[in-house]
Amino acid sequence: MSPTAVVAPPPADGPAGGTLRRRRAPWPPSLRGRATLALTAVAVALTTALAVGVWVSATQYLLYTRQNVTLAQAVANAAQVQRGLSAEGFLPAELLSQLPRETGSVSLLADDGEWSTTSLRIGREELPEALRTAVARGEPSRQRIAVDGDPYLAVGLPLPGLQDAYFEVFPLHELDDTVRVLGVVLTSSVLAAAPLAAAVGWWVTRPALRPLERISAAAAAIAGGDLGARIDPRGDPSLAPIAASFNATAAALEQRVRADARFAADVSHELRSPLTTVLAAVSLVEAHADRLDPDGREGLALLRSEVRDLERLVADLLEISRTDAGDPDLVVEDVRLAALVGQTLARRAAAGGGSTRPTVAAAAADVVVRADKRRLERVLRNLVDNADTHGGGLTAVTVERAGPHACVLVDDAGPGVPEEERGVVFERFARGSRSTRASSDGSGLGLALVSRHVQLMGGSVTVTDAPGGGARFVVRLPAVDPAGGRP
Amino acid sequence: MPRSVLFIEDDERIRRVVSLSLRREGLEVAEAGSGEEGLARLAERPYDVVLLDLVLPGRDGFDVCREIRRVSATPVIMVTARADSRDVVAGLEAGADDYVTKPSVAEELSARIRALARRTRSPGARPRVVVGDLVIAPADGVVTRRGEVVPLTRTEFRLLVELAAERGRVLSREELLERVWGYDYFGDSRLVDVHVRRLRTKVEADPADPAIVTTVRGMGYRLPG
Repeated sequence: MSPTAVVAPPPADGPAGGTLRRRRAPWPPSLRGRATLALTAVAVALTTALAVGVWVSATQYLLYTRQNVTLAQAVANAAQVQRGLSAEGFLPAELLSQLPRETGSVSLLADDGEWSTTSLRIGREELPEALRTAVARGEPSRQRIAVDGDPYLAVGLPLPGLQDAYFEVFPLHELDDTVRVLGVVLTSSVLAAAPLAAAVGWWVTRPALRPLERISAAAAAIAGGDLGARIDPRGDPSLAPIAASFNATAAALEQRVRADARFAADVSHELRSPLTTVLAAVSLVEAHADRLDPDGREGLALLRSEVRDLERLVADLLEISRTDAGDPDLVVEDVRLAALVGQTLARRAAAGGGSTRPTVAAAAADVVVRADKRRLERVLRNLVDNADTHGGGLTAVTVERAGPHACVLVDDAGPGVPEEERGVVFERFARGSRSTRASSDGSGLGLALVSRHVQLMGGSVTVTDAPGGGARFVVRLPAVDPAGGRP
Repeated sequence: MPRSVLFIEDDERIRRVVSLSLRREGLEVAEAGSGEEGLARLAERPYDVVLLDLVLPGRDGFDVCREIRRVSATPVIMVTARADSRDVVAGLEAGADDYVTKPSVAEELSARIRALARRTRSPGARPRVVVGDLVIAPADGVVTRRGEVVPLTRTEFRLLVELAAERGRVLSREELLERVWGYDYFGDSRLVDVHVRRLRTKVEADPADPAIVTTVRGMGYRLPG
């Protein structure tokens, strides 16, 4: 993709933002890690190739020079033996012992099938058959041999005369030691190159990949729901075109999501007028309920509860879509948490719900939070309704203080929320295993709204296991010490 | 206890069904389908309460509310679609005394009207209070400054009377909500704040530096004793 290409909006049949779904990144997770890994791999491959090249050429060269030196030596010695044999009176053994030899090398002479040697370790048997026959045929030959595990180079030269041949066996262990040392050095270099290349790569990729890291961070933020995330090119000219197109895409996406949310908000807003009429009409009919037969009364009761649910749904939908559309409209003030929780439960009792009294920890009796009172009440009401509808009934509500936070714990008597559903219960229209369509089960937006509102107020909401076995929803809000109150 | 209500609402179905509910509560209800019609009705005769939808064709609710305030001290309850909206504050600034939200208009109204009934316990038995050059006379239902009557709405007057009754003591927003509007802890404290602001523009020599209705940060309001 060229840097100025405009990314097409997500397909209409897919969810907006679907193209930004967070995939499980392969190891290593970070771009920088992957780049470092690639650099390391390249460096190791290069050093390995280099080492192999050095190894091959160096060993070849060493062997070649060794062979030349030994051949020259053998040829000179062969000539001397030849002269000695022609000047009668010398025994082959004497001739061989007079030859100048380097340390460790052995001379052998085959004279009409008679073998002489200067060493007890190396005689005719140590020379390979193939070498002996080749020399006997009159071909100068050489071959690597091993004697008692030590490497030698055997050189065989035919001498003029039937069945006469001069052999010299040169030790190769020095060459082998050299080669072995070279091998160790090269292997160590290759092994050392890996961490070194990784370190250098890690250090070098940092400035180079910072722009990409910023892009991926912004993309991750958008995928995580922060539609306002943008890339700040911050004077990096190479990043500017990418940042511009990325930001344009993000802005288009944000606009689209906001427009969708506004549409949802407008729709729910339009529903309020007919709902107002229906609610009032139902109340009017209820005033005459005593004139209805039992079937009529049952129908009326159904109508009322459905209209109530519809009202909740519309209100929840409106609130959620308004916050999505970027219009949270928070009214923040100091709220005495324990009092508010008590009032909420008292209202529930007055409306015919069970009467639960909150347990207030001593430390939390006067705790004050900066919150939107109406939203906080909504949060509590939704959690309590959720406990009643899906959690087998509310068992306890506790207000306590935990460090800088004030917490409200809402426990129910249900089966609890399974681990794998704990992240999902706060999603819209989540239908976990706790949901039953048989009863009126709220709007499916209740917990989504809880999480949204609590986040707006700078807090968090989680779900764990209640001591009694059910689910425990925990709302945490930053506490403030009331002005002029007790510290 | 209010007896007569003027309901200004353009949606005829809402108007009819809510009016029916209010009549069942024993109230006399007059209906108006637009702001102009509502103001005309109000010019013919006084009502105890005006119920005003904010979204109206032609003259919008804020405008109508300001006009009502210009000519009378009748309590105005506005009907809004959302309690968290800026409309609530704008409506209070325009002079509304309270608000109810759709779609539970009928229910909330009954509660409001019952609260109004509780509020109309006569404050007449209370003594006169003099703060600076301001004289608060609960028995006469007037506030005068240097002999001139200060035009206050009923809500502003009650707010001042409640503060005067507890001179020197700080009244929290919740207490004021309960005493003036008849709400419990869940009342909207913006009601108190906006009304205090409007009250100050009428009774303070310098509303930016209030000397009569003073703010005690984080606690509430107080009339210096």
